[in-house]
Amino acid sequence: MNAKDCVAMILAGGQGSRLGALTKNVAKPAVPFGGKYKIIDFPLSNCVHSGIDTVGVLTQYQPLELNTYIGNGGPWDLDRNRGGVYVLPPYQSAAAGEWYKGTANAIYQNLGFLDRFSPNNVLILSGDHIYKMHYGEMLATHKKSGAAITIAVMPVPWEEASRFGIMNVDENGMIVEFEEKPKNPKSNLASMGIYIFDYQILKKYLMDDERDPASSNDFGKNIIPAMLNNGEKMVSYRFEGYWKDVGTVQSLWEANMDLIEDPPKFDIYDDTWSIYSRNTALAPQYVGDNAKIIDSSVAQGCRVHGKISRSVVFSGVFVGDGSEVSDSVIMPDVKIGKNVKITKAVIGQGAVIEDGAVIGETTDDSSPYISSMCTDGLVLIEGGATVSGGADIPKCSMVEAN
Amino acid sequence: MRDTMGIIIASNINIPPFTDVRSASALPMAGGFRIIDFILSNMATAGLRRIGVATEANYSSLMDHLRSGAPWDLHMKDDGLHILPPNIGNKNAAEIIRGDLDILNGIRQYIRKSRETYVILSLGNCVYNIDFEKVLESHKENHADVTVIYKNLAGVEEKELSRYTLLDVAEDGAITDIEVCPYYPKTTNAGIDVFVMERALLESILDECSARGNHDFIKDAIAQKMGGLRIFGYEHDGYVDKVDSMIAYYNNNMNFLGKEVQDEMLKNPKLPIYTKNRDLPPTKYGSDATVENSYIADGCKIEGTVINSVLSGNVVVKKGAVVKNSVLMQSAVIGENSTLEYVVLDKDVTVTDGKQIIGQDSYPVPVPKGTVI
Repeated sequence: MNAKDCVAMILAGGQGSRLGALTKNVAKPAVPFGGKYKIIDFPLSNCVHSGIDTVGVLTQYQPLELNTYIGNGGPWDLDRNRGGVYVLPPYQSAAAGEWYKGTANAIYQNLGFLDRFSPNNVLILSGDHIYKMHYGEMLATHKKSGAAITIAVMPVPWEEASRFGIMNVDENGMIVEFEEKPKNPKSNLASMGIYIFDYQILKKYLMDDERDPASSNDFGKNIIPAMLNNGEKMVSYRFEGYWKDVGTVQSLWEANMDLIEDPPKFDIYDDTWSIYSRNTALAPQYVGDNAKIIDSSVAQGCRVHGKISRSVVFSGVFVGDGSEVSDSVIMPDVKIGKNVKITKAVIGQGAVIEDGAVIGETTDDSSPYISSMCTDGLVLIEGGATVSGGADIPKCSMVEAN
Repeated sequence: MRDTMGIIIASNINIPPFTDVRSASALPMAGGFRIIDFILSNMATAGLRRIGVATEANYSSLMDHLRSGAPWDLHMKDDGLHILPPNIGNKNAAEIIRGDLDILNGIRQYIRKSRETYVILSLGNCVYNIDFEKVLESHKENHADVTVIYKNLAGVEEKELSRYTLLDVAEDGAITDIEVCPYYPKTTNAGIDVFVMERALLESILDECSARGNHDFIKDAIAQKMGGLRIFGYEHDGYVDKVDSMIAYYNNNMNFLGKEVQDEMLKNPKLPIYTKNRDLPPTKYGSDATVENSYIADGCKIEGTVINSVLSGNVVVKKGAVVKNSVLMQSAVIGENSTLEYVVLDKDVTVTDGKQIIGQDSYPVPVPKGTVI
């Protein structure tokens, strides 16, 4: 196998349990996003635009959707003869067979994969963040500084800093301290979970970590603190731009809404940095005589007869006559009947909303659908669920499929 | 249908200004598609694994669209899609190619090297969505030498009929006469210029015709052989329209605003139409957008008004702009407060702010690629 300067490893095994019914059957990186994409399209597209053509995708929770989606990697130009994309699930070996115990252990179990490419550097990414980033520039910084590890950081509002892993850096950008969710943060530079390691150093730390039975085999909790203790050269790479961890139903909804602001907080229309995705070209969207669409994005294959405002509507959605959809995220192939009213909801793939249903309008704390996953009035309808004709689904509900 | 191969001759129909820059087969249709997508998808769906697209001129746009054939699953190691540029040696194309027979003669080696028993040969530039498996079945059942696909355009005006190859079809389906674009039509059976035959027969026709110096496949080969061959018709009762003029191109696009046409042509799960995926983001509608009865591809940004129109990808309609009864190819930009009615814009046309371009339904205004107005 040809040697590679840098191989990317995308951690895509997480369940994303705070996304509720959206991740019941799929891993978080496979959740639809932004009208035509899945969350994992963002790190994959970033890799390709950054000149990284060898990518391992580590899967564990509900991998079927992700496996079939990534396939041979063609949509991202990752169907390479030398390199390309590889889906790496946990496996059994002669000595043992175990699940990925943590983020570091997932990489540890795939050292054999990395060795095949004898990379100089390894880029570790999360499969569940929405952003556009040129990893090549970060890699150049990493190589120039000769660091053992370079960690991407971004400034976050001070009041939110205690929710993140905070990097305290000196005037040269060297990381001097790392605090996971500090009560009294000394800096507002949050780790983005994007690391570039010198491969030989990474390998040594992963092997040491594996020998420690008390370790939780996690980059943030174990590997990075150990490197700091040992005085390794650790450099921060400052990222300015849009970055969002879509860990909750609310943040997923917000990130979708960020696309349709004017101007958008996050621009997916830049054709020098296209976001690639696996999708078949469908018929154009048909907008009917009585339809009205404003402040929204609508994708191919839709048929719209009703009104849509401030919403992100994915491919193949039908909106019937007299229906009104506002402030909502409507995932692929959802069928919305006539005279339906949907306000501030996330409707999962293939759900059917029958005629006259009302979603997210009324308040009823005694409703059996009320869920702690759904905050701030947001309603979540699971993919494949049917909301029957005339039903009234109150704010903060989560409706699951039968 | 592993026993059948496809040969598509890219159309050289002249529809200025749009075919100045591309073969008519590569013309955009219904927002996101190209005319050739329909037949190519139908062939792929019928299980054809070897399809040659023979070109005459102006084929860079077509090649750019077809590339490896991946959208049709025709990117194969050996078989799959082959783009066959004209075989003219060191001569001038105009000296060699005077008709479709000359193009076919240029690809005789490709035809000879194939192993399939049957050939589906397309010479036309019609838009339709057809099940070729049924056509092949009918061809075999009739023990036909040649099967010609047609649509009965009963009720259509004579001058419309004159655009087609017209077939006299006997009760048993046998074709008794063929006339190419006659001024006084004697029948309403309009051929879509697609033929099914054994590959060996095609080779022998080519051999004979080239020896006689013939140039036109239908007039010189098929029509002349009426007596000696079993030629049968296959009636297609779905949507058919021929794209052979600017007005036909416009009307064909506008037909896609009808639900029946959309459902038959682009939403039939048994006969899906594939095209190159251009990774366009979804279409975005601004606060003042008004869109009625329109077909809109991805990647557009609409802040103005769009009524009864078909928009390809990446079109921008700015505030106060009105686009009515028009067909816009990809990446058009319509400036603020500009009005377009009955207009066909080729790719990359920019209409600056405050302009008016008004055509008539009998003659939409065509605007060439890259024009800035």
